[in-house]
This record gives sequence, structure tokens and C-alpha cells, in this order.
Amino acid sequence: MNPMPDWSETPKWLMPRPTKEDREFWEGAARGELRIQHCTTCGRHQHYARMLCSHCGKQTLEWVTAGGSGTVYSFTVIRQNGVPPFNERIPFVVATVDLDEDGARMIAAMPSLDPDLARVGMRVRASYRPAGDELGFVDFVPAE
Amino acid sequence: MLEAQSFRRALDDAGLEKDDIQGLASAGYGGMHEVALAEYLGLTPTWLESSSVGGSSFEFHAMHAYRAIQNGDVDTVAIVYGNNQLSASGRTLGTGGGGGGGRGGMALPLPMSYEFPTGLTLVGAYAMAAQRHMHQFGTKPEQLASISVQTREHAARNPNAMYRDPLTVDDVMSSRLVADPLHKLDCCVISDGGCCIIMTTEERARNLPHRPVFVRGAAGGTTHHSIAAMADMTHTAAAVSGPKAFAEAGITPTDVDMFAMYDSFTYTVLVVLEDLGFAPKGEGGAFVTDNGGNLRLGGALPTNTDGGGLSATHPGMRGLFLLCEATRQLRGEAGDSQVTGAEIAVAHGSGGWLSTQATVVLGTEGT
Repeated sequence: MNPMPDWSETPKWLMPRPTKEDREFWEGAARGELRIQHCTTCGRHQHYARMLCSHCGKQTLEWVTAGGSGTVYSFTVIRQNGVPPFNERIPFVVATVDLDEDGARMIAAMPSLDPDLARVGMRVRASYRPAGDELGFVDFVPAE
Repeated sequence: MLEAQSFRRALDDAGLEKDDIQGLASAGYGGMHEVALAEYLGLTPTWLESSSVGGSSFEFHAMHAYRAIQNGDVDTVAIVYGNNQLSASGRTLGTGGGGGGGRGGMALPLPMSYEFPTGLTLVGAYAMAAQRHMHQFGTKPEQLASISVQTREHAARNPNAMYRDPLTVDDVMSSRLVADPLHKLDCCVISDGGCCIIMTTEERARNLPHRPVFVRGAAGGTTHHSIAAMADMTHTAAAVSGPKAFAEAGITPTDVDMFAMYDSFTYTVLVVLEDLGFAPKGEGGAFVTDNGGNLRLGGALPTNTDGGGLSATHPGMRGLFLLCEATRQLRGEAGDSQVTGAEIAVAHGSGGWLSTQATVVLGTEGT
């Protein structure tokens, strides 16, 4: 098993194509910031960016920088994926992470994590991976 | 042309001709396929339904057709599906290839623009939900495996099933992990296949050759699209659609004689067994294995008596086949897999990433 598969190259079809609504997230990741939306009406957060709050339906959203810490709600180890470049990266962990900011949950790869060490409930923090010059992906690594 | 073959066979079975059909439903192709299908079949329907919500689309179609027939909008409806998934795309549906690299300059739609770059697969999404259930309730992979084993027993009785050799829990557990905790043999097969159901008024059905089977209740819903947006991965929209459909039918889970369940993966069966109330939440694993296997013929809830998607057939989407097998059972035409005295059957479709759920309760004359 390759201990540290190469996630540095992103094929064109997987590159982010930011919209007016979510450009802030992708550009934030390039700066090493996890940008999410906060609703000033209900106080909850959301990821990915939308025109209105998916919790309360109001349009009172502002961008905030999340602390980057969260808890693994669940995960899987991908051991079969026929699509390049993922077929060269297997096995790898994909997790659903509940951010510490209430209401915000995201799916992310954990490229550096040994699959045997993945656990539901583990504390994780965001790490950032460039996608071209101006955009980035948010991955997660164990908090410890 | 699998759709045309299925359509013709269903007409023959029903004792009808094509001009008796005024309503057409189909799903899963995009564009105006349903309209092209009508043209191909030589139909000029005045009622069209193309709800396309993944594998459960056909339970939604049956529900909508039922309401429309009750309302007098349409008299006789054909629900048609066919797909040569295996011949056309090989076994790539669950782990990439099918929807992967060839996207060219097209942007990935939300929310997949966040999900695809992680390398998550379709199998991986279900695996993540299964993992959560195991964490929360102590469900064992062996209990999931047992679903596959019991389903294979039914496939052995079906000469048309794709895989019929006996299977053990050890066989499932020692098959390779595709996405933890799901093994290869926790996943449905990929096949070619076609299916057609014809629905009509009670009055007309009574004058056709077969003993009619009646829709007694139906409901559906969705909780999310992508798996990360599934707020609670241990509860699906079936927790709402099931009780609603059962209430309309005036039944409780113990009244159900057989269950036709969309077994895309073993976990899909387990979580929906709980959501529909066949087992308390968290106890699906025990329910599956208790009593020597409750999903077996002779068990508390014979499930997927045709061998299911896990062993018999899964041509991209399986929802319509569930209605077909439930109908066979209620007509007493299920051959070696017949559930003795079956009067109430439930067909339940699950689509997307556990995203869309729909329950149809079917019954015989006396129910």
C-alpha cells in the first residue's frame, strides 16, 4: 500500500467551478480558511453556500471563517474506484464531518489518514489543498 | 429494446392491446425519453408521468397512477423500464466509470461539486450510512451479510436469477471490501433487464384474465440528495412514507405477508426494515438473523422472494421489479418462492443515496 498517495494533481473535470454563490468557499480554501455561511436569524451555519438558509429559510446569511475543527459523523474507506486519479489513490478515507459551528456539515477526503485509524467520533481539523492558483479544496486530518 | 419486450409481455399477461393504454410512466433516462418511448411503442398517451427520482421512481409512478385512476383522469396506465446497464457500461455503476471522467467542460451540479472531488463512490455513500448505524447501534457486518445470504436462497429458486449458488455469511465477509464496511457481496448485481406493470380501474381489472391485485396505500418522500446532507444516516424518508402508506391501507407491519424491498445494498434493506416498523430502530440486525432468518420463506417477513437486486437482477434501477414480484406473490404465481396465502405485500423503493423513498401497499381482493 502506498503510504502517502499523491493528491496534488486535480484533473480538469474535478476542478471547482465557482458560482457567484459559493466562490467565497473555494477562494477561502486557497488562503487556508474554511469559509461557511452563518444565519443571523436562526444562528445556525451551513455548508455549502446557498441563497437562503437551509435551516430556517431566511435570506439573512453572512460569511464567517470557521475554526476548522470538527467531529467525524461517519466515514468510509474507498477501496475500489475505477476513475482516475482515484484508482491510484486507493485505499483512502472519505468522512462526513460535523463542524463545531452548529448546523454545518461537510464531506471531505482525509488523504493522509491511515484507513485503519479512522473512527466515528474522532476529532479532526481542516487542511487545505490547492486547486489551481486561486482555488482550493478542504480536506481533514486527525486533530491530534 | 428491453422496454418494448417488457411492454408486450405485460399486455399479453393483462389480456390487453396497446390501444387500451392511455397513460405511460417511465424514468431514468433524461431528456424526453418517455415521449420517445411512447412514439416507439406507437402510443399517444393523454397521461404522462416521468418523476425521475432514482430507483424509487416507479413506486412514485404507481402512487401517482393510482391517484389519477381513482380520480378518473386516466383509465389504464403502463409503467415501463428497461436498461442494458451491464452490456452498455459493465459493472461500473457503484464505483465510478459510469458518471466519471467524461464530463468534459460541464460543471458538476450542486452538491456533487463538493462530493466528487473527495473520491466518494455510490457504494461509499451507502457504506458511510452503514458505518454510522454500526457505530450507533452495534449492528454487525455479519448481520448485514445475512441479508445477502437469505436473498441468495430465494435466487436459487428463481431460474431467471443471475446468481443462484448457495452463499454463506463467511463468503460475504471474505469477499473484498469495496467501501468499508460493505463487501462486494453486500452490493447488488449489475444486469440488463426490463419490466412493465399495467394498472387500471377496479372495474376493468375484474374483467381481465388474472385475479386483480389492489393498491391499498402509498406514500413517498425525500430527506436529502447527497449523503452528507442526510441529517441522520440511520433514518430515511421511509420512516414517514411507511407509516403513512400503512395507515391508508389500514394495516400494521405484522399484517404484511411479503416484502419487496429495493436491496441496492444490504444496509438499504436493514435501515428500511426499521423505518417501516418491521423492527424497532437499531434492532434491524437482530430482526434479520432471528428465528433462523426472518427474511427467508417461512420467516416473519419473506423478503425479495425473487432473489432481489443482490442476486437476481438490477438493471440500473430496480423499483419496478419490486411491484412485479409483489404482484406475482399476491396472484399466487411465484412458483417455488410462493409465500403461502400471501394477501398483503409491500413494495418499497429507495433511490439515489438513500435519498428518495416510496412505499406501496398491495393487497388481494379480500384485504
